Amino acid sequence: MDARILLVEDDPSIREVTAIGLSAAGFDVATAADGVEGMERFLAEPFDLVLLDIMLPRLDGYEVCRQIRRTSTVPIVMLTARGEAMDVVVGLEAGADDYVRKPFEVPELIARVRSALRRANAGPAGETASLRLGPLSIDVAGRTVARDGTDIPVTRTEFDLLLELVRHAGQVLSRDVLLDRVWGYDYLGDSRLVDVAIQRLRSKVETDPAAPELIQTVRGAGYKASR
Amino acid sequence: MLSGVRGRLTATIVALVVLTAVVLGVGAYVFVDTRLHDQALREAADQAGFDLSVLIPSRLGDPPTDESMRKLGDDFQRRGLDTIIVPPSGQPFATPGTLTTAYASIPDSVRSLVDRGQIAYAWQPLAGRSSLVVAGRVSGTGPAIYFIRDTTAIDDTLAQLRFALGAGGILLALVAVVAARQVARGVLAPVQEAARTARRIAHGDLSARVPVSSTDEFGSWAEQFNEMVDTLEDTIVRLEAAQTQNRRFVADVSHELRTPVAALVAEVSILRDHLDSLPPESRRAGELVVQDVGRMRALVEDLMELSRFDAAGEQVRAEPVDLGRLIRDVANARHRDAVLELPDDRVVAETDARRLERILGNLLDNAREHAPGALVVVRLRATADRIAITVADRGPGVPLDRVDRIFDRFYMADPSRRGGSGLGLAIAAEHAALLGGRLRARNRDGGGLAIELLLRVTDSLPAGDPAATPGDEPALR
Repeated sequence: MDARILLVEDDPSIREVTAIGLSAAGFDVATAADGVEGMERFLAEPFDLVLLDIMLPRLDGYEVCRQIRRTSTVPIVMLTARGEAMDVVVGLEAGADDYVRKPFEVPELIARVRSALRRANAGPAGETASLRLGPLSIDVAGRTVARDGTDIPVTRTEFDLLLELVRHAGQVLSRDVLLDRVWGYDYLGDSRLVDVAIQRLRSKVETDPAAPELIQTVRGAGYKASR
Repeated sequence: MLSGVRGRLTATIVALVVLTAVVLGVGAYVFVDTRLHDQALREAADQAGFDLSVLIPSRLGDPPTDESMRKLGDDFQRRGLDTIIVPPSGQPFATPGTLTTAYASIPDSVRSLVDRGQIAYAWQPLAGRSSLVVAGRVSGTGPAIYFIRDTTAIDDTLAQLRFALGAGGILLALVAVVAARQVARGVLAPVQEAARTARRIAHGDLSARVPVSSTDEFGSWAEQFNEMVDTLEDTIVRLEAAQTQNRRFVADVSHELRTPVAALVAEVSILRDHLDSLPPESRRAGELVVQDVGRMRALVEDLMELSRFDAAGEQVRAEPVDLGRLIRDVANARHRDAVLELPDDRVVAETDARRLERILGNLLDNAREHAPGALVVVRLRATADRIAITVADRGPGVPLDRVDRIFDRFYMADPSRRGGSGLGLAIAAEHAALLGGRLRARNRDGGGLAIELLLRVTDSLPAGDPAATPGDEPALR
């Protein structure tokens, strides 16, 4: 596989053991101990995935995430403290694709990293069709979304989520199903991942995100794209 | 109590006023009555004495003739006096004649006094009118003359007085009631104020004080009361500060432990895969490290969860939840051997699925730890207004006097057991409270412990797609 991973984590023990685990799993790991160093490493060489702690000296994880997103769609997985809800939401809003809660077991982290890399590398898969959802046209091969001919910038995860909903338009998809199909969680995912991503997606594609027409909430069940 | 005191005070004031009025009224009436009668009698006696000794002897003649008696009678009638002239021999002569028969009803005591030559009187109704009879003999020995005055006017005056006094009395009593109520209210106002203050304090407003507006007994009582509340407030504030400090300490400690625990968990997850390659003597130590890091992780995570409850920043994210399905999922993940007793019908409740999972998971963990290998039953019952989820085991149960304490933090029914953190049930109870429900524990007939989660059923589920409104976006926790 030999994917290159940038690990930005300030705690030396966690940084070292995580690096050991990732290397043992066959990844090429570079590490940084704070946000500024992390940005420097990221700008200096190409990476396939970034693992980003939130509480970092000098420049926090959210800010690093935002700066990376200005130029890159590289998969970003945040390392967040358990239970701090804002960590998750702010991280996802800063453009992260997924997150792993601390404390984590290294095999669990590796599974999330593989899942994120797999999604990032999922090619056109022979699909060239263009799908439509109301005024949106979705170019499956080019992974772009346009509204009335104007491109709407969406992240990789947002695109995958929109695609999944549109492919099953009119059908209610539960949060668990979306977690499985978009993020690759077999079980025990956090449904907030879905909720936050839906909110971000709506804010980009809906005319009035407060009264969504394209992507609807079905209480107690999940979400669906209008047919 | 308060209205009772006010009622008694009012009644006492009214009674005093009425009693005073009655005494004064009766006194005044008796005085007027006596004066009126005395005055009438004196006038009548003076007139009779004068007439009998001076005027009449020259007019009547002795013995009186019928003619002279009639003339005299007519003269007196012109002066407003009725008369009965009784000559020593012959029939009494009455003017007007209607009084002729009235002579017989004049009391004997009067007649005998008159016979003996004295002037006598009687208050006596005659011919249907109240009258004053004054009588004497002309020149002491001549014919007896009974002067009869109509005293109806006195009676009328007294009747009017009685009416005036009665009406005045009733009016006074009414005024007294109103006034007494005002007075009672005024007197008891500080008591009511104090009661209000006490109620505010009871509801937690420790800044409430009784106004000290007087220097009387009540004023000093109010000062004492306020001093007591000062002390109480001081104590409570200090206790709250101590508790806050205590909780912050726990929160800080668990927070500080988080990073090293995160490192340990990551390290141990790698160590675990290489235990087999360790020499036998260090392998066992490695296994124990793996196990103990797991315990420590659970403890720190539970402590942090409790600290978050204490910080009171928790929000509930409610949505329709299929309870039967949730119970099946949780039991599947946490206690596969549990027997589920679910109703045939789907039970859907508006609640926070994540918290419900946590409660149920902790109850199942508790059952597994304290009743290892025993039968565990999860039962769901729903009525129109209430949902009960019971986790019942056939373990040793809990001593009766400690059943209520199992939801306390770090309470362990059996201290020798080292399974959980001792916080699982406390956490479950906090989640239950956030969902508007509560946990209840009891020992089962035939042994074992049953913990019941009671949830109120809130309003029925709304139709349509209300979640699409912005206020209903899944809230952050």
